[in-house]
Amino acid sequence: MSARKRTLLKVIILGDSGVGKTSLMNQYVNKKFSNQYKATIGADFLTKEVQVEDRLVTMQIWDTAGQERFQSLGVAFYRGADCCVLVYDVNVMKSFDNLENWRDEFLIQASPSDPDNFPFVVLGNKVDVDGGNSRVVSEKKAKAWCAAKGDIPYFETSAKEDFNVDVAFQVIAKNALKNETEEEIYVPDTIDVNSSRPQKASGCEC
Amino acid sequence: MDNKAIQDLQRDSEVVDEEGEQSHYSSDEVHAYSVDEAVGASNLDMEADNGAKLSDLVISDNTEEESTYDLSKESAFQGILEEGGSSIDGRILDEGHQDDIAAVPTSSNNTTPASTESGTLVSDVLDGDASLDDSIHEGPASPSSSDEGTSGYLAGSGSSSASICSASGADESVDGVLIQESNRPARRTWVPGKRHPEEDDTSLSWRKHKKHFFILSYAGKPIYSRYGDEHKLAGFSATLQAIMSFVENSGDTVRFVKAGDHQIVFLVKGPLYLVAISATEEPEQVIRWQLELLHAQLVLILTMGVEKCFVKNSKFDMRPLLGGTDMVFSHLIHGFSWNPATFLRAYTCLPLPHVIRQSTGAALQDMPNSGALFSILMSGSKVINLMSPRKSSLSPDDILLLCNYVSSSDSFRSAESFFPVCLPGYNPTAFLYAYVQYLNDDTCLFLLTADPDGFFQLKEYRGRIETLLRETNVLAEVTNAVRLGGLRVEQLPQPKASTSSQDSKTSSIFGSDSDHELHGSAGVTRQGVAGTGGPAGLWHFIYRSSFLDQFVASEFSPPLHIPSAQKRLYRAYQKSYSSMHGDGAGGPYKMQYRRNEHHVLLSWRTSDFELYAAFDPLADKSSAVAVCNRVCQWLRGLESEIFLLGATPFSW
Repeated sequence: MSARKRTLLKVIILGDSGVGKTSLMNQYVNKKFSNQYKATIGADFLTKEVQVEDRLVTMQIWDTAGQERFQSLGVAFYRGADCCVLVYDVNVMKSFDNLENWRDEFLIQASPSDPDNFPFVVLGNKVDVDGGNSRVVSEKKAKAWCAAKGDIPYFETSAKEDFNVDVAFQVIAKNALKNETEEEIYVPDTIDVNSSRPQKASGCEC
Repeated sequence: MDNKAIQDLQRDSEVVDEEGEQSHYSSDEVHAYSVDEAVGASNLDMEADNGAKLSDLVISDNTEEESTYDLSKESAFQGILEEGGSSIDGRILDEGHQDDIAAVPTSSNNTTPASTESGTLVSDVLDGDASLDDSIHEGPASPSSSDEGTSGYLAGSGSSSASICSASGADESVDGVLIQESNRPARRTWVPGKRHPEEDDTSLSWRKHKKHFFILSYAGKPIYSRYGDEHKLAGFSATLQAIMSFVENSGDTVRFVKAGDHQIVFLVKGPLYLVAISATEEPEQVIRWQLELLHAQLVLILTMGVEKCFVKNSKFDMRPLLGGTDMVFSHLIHGFSWNPATFLRAYTCLPLPHVIRQSTGAALQDMPNSGALFSILMSGSKVINLMSPRKSSLSPDDILLLCNYVSSSDSFRSAESFFPVCLPGYNPTAFLYAYVQYLNDDTCLFLLTADPDGFFQLKEYRGRIETLLRETNVLAEVTNAVRLGGLRVEQLPQPKASTSSQDSKTSSIFGSDSDHELHGSAGVTRQGVAGTGGPAGLWHFIYRSSFLDQFVASEFSPPLHIPSAQKRLYRAYQKSYSSMHGDGAGGPYKMQYRRNEHHVLLSWRTSDFELYAAFDPLADKSSAVAVCNRVCQWLRGLESEIFLLGATPFSW
């Protein structure tokens, strides 16, 4: 008996291939990091239970493949997402430029009921690389973009160093919960036997 | 493939036989008698008093792969099948798998959704070991399927996924598990509550369960899992959704995937996805129907109105709405392996002397203005009587699901209950209200109304019914009938030389009219031990009346007293039913005679009834057919005791 209500959040991670989506997820869920790059095929799924304030939340994390050939996953895949995490590599300008495309693509495919207020979170990953010397996207630039898109929360992360990862995911969970629609009380119809009944004849027709 | 072609193929397979491996067939034969194909190979005239007649039957040797405890034989057996393509086709005919093949969108063999800690959407391709079924599946790929895309996925396999299927080489050991598992005492020992809630898809024990059921939303959010905690299985649930949505993207629907020993059956019901993963060798159609029932059970709890929640909000999490109903689903799933009502689409009655059943009818009928739509008196899963003052129709499936709902929880036993419930067959969009009370341990009264404020009225109604039933001593009779149990094959009357038909008319399992001793041990032992044992040894039967939508099954007696044997027979019945009804290829059939090392199964279908009878494996065809005729005659004489006649809601 589930006396206490547990919430399940569907979180989708999007971003160019190689920006570190899988590494972020692995760091967050398994506390592991590998330098070896292994492309995600299609999608990976991980679950993690977290406590957000007084609520027990299960995060169902959909780690998608960044390669374009997997973009056919489409509508059904994005359907019913509670939060979307956009990831880019602070050392690769193109991955930042593409955030716009990823966001648009998500909004088109998932078509959330209130697109303007749909919870996104942006992560600028790999801030550890070369001591920050190779970075090409400044924090300021990234924050400006996030602000322009309706104040998307922004975090600079390093999956390798486990920098800011937990904090970022905590905000992801929190924002997804905030966006939870007011649940209406479920009141289905009752049959009115005195009016015309839409019932089917079942069994045999004799 | 038309029947003619199949018959030809079967004849081919006989030729294969003669070329050397005949012995392998001898213990596993299936004789299929097609309805519209009648070539005389052997003439068996079967005539019962209902006029059903079978003649000019084709007898074609065929194979049935049922159990694999004999390793050496089984592998040799597969060898033959792989050699002779025609015999493989012959087998498909009777296994009813032909449709599956066309319906498999992912045509690659041995694909399985690999589930690891990361539930990667990657399928393992098992090398070699293409089992019999897989080699079949390789053939005709579904034209509209997403082969290319799927193989794109497959190419990437290499994650640490331990696949949930085992290679076909492990057949025997898996079967061993089946037998062991089914040694669990069946039926009455069902324990409410979640099985193995601590498990998730990383647990080895979770992967070993023979049959999984999942319900999830079209967003991939878990709603129900038979084993394990739904939230911990969120990743697995997402994997299932990803597979389904991938196929959905190409404008198709995935129906069925065969992965080694495992079958994965998918059913899409609007925003709800139902999935079964099974290593039980049940036909796909049987499992698909089980998913349908699972969905109907969900509708019974929530109505179809729940779909609107998803239209408004695709993120909708349905689990809270279903809080505490785990046991309803698991009880239903448990019923899939012992309750014939789950595949016969019929209900069964508690055998009662005719006068007693009439009294129950009178008691239920006595209430003109109760507001009740239906009144049902049940004993366990058996109907004692049912009435519909408003002449509404009540489907057997609704009875099954309603009864399952109530029997899954002991809380109904301790108090009178009034709760909203939807009868999917009656009206899937809206609630009725059910008043339920157990009148004693064996008898439960259901009153259904459309009036949400009808409690007090129905309570009063119940009081009057109960008084009537007690006054006429009906409740005691019911208890007695429950104690006596149902029909026993030992009671089957011996064939009599001349005056048989008269006798059967007056026979009664409760004693004939002359010695009006309705109960007591006499009823059970009356007819001696005719008909059992020996070459015509009848072990068990199920008889379904087509007009009444009712069935009667005999009690299990030795050698079927072991739960594993009962489960095996039950699965064989399911398979036969599916095949007789032409789910899959070749059918429908009028008659089938199947033999394997465990039993002979004779299935017989006419416009009036269906009979499924199990015999000793040594039983020969003609005596089995003769016994079936006697069973029909016998049951005809008992109709008023074993069936609810006249008052059936389907004839209103």
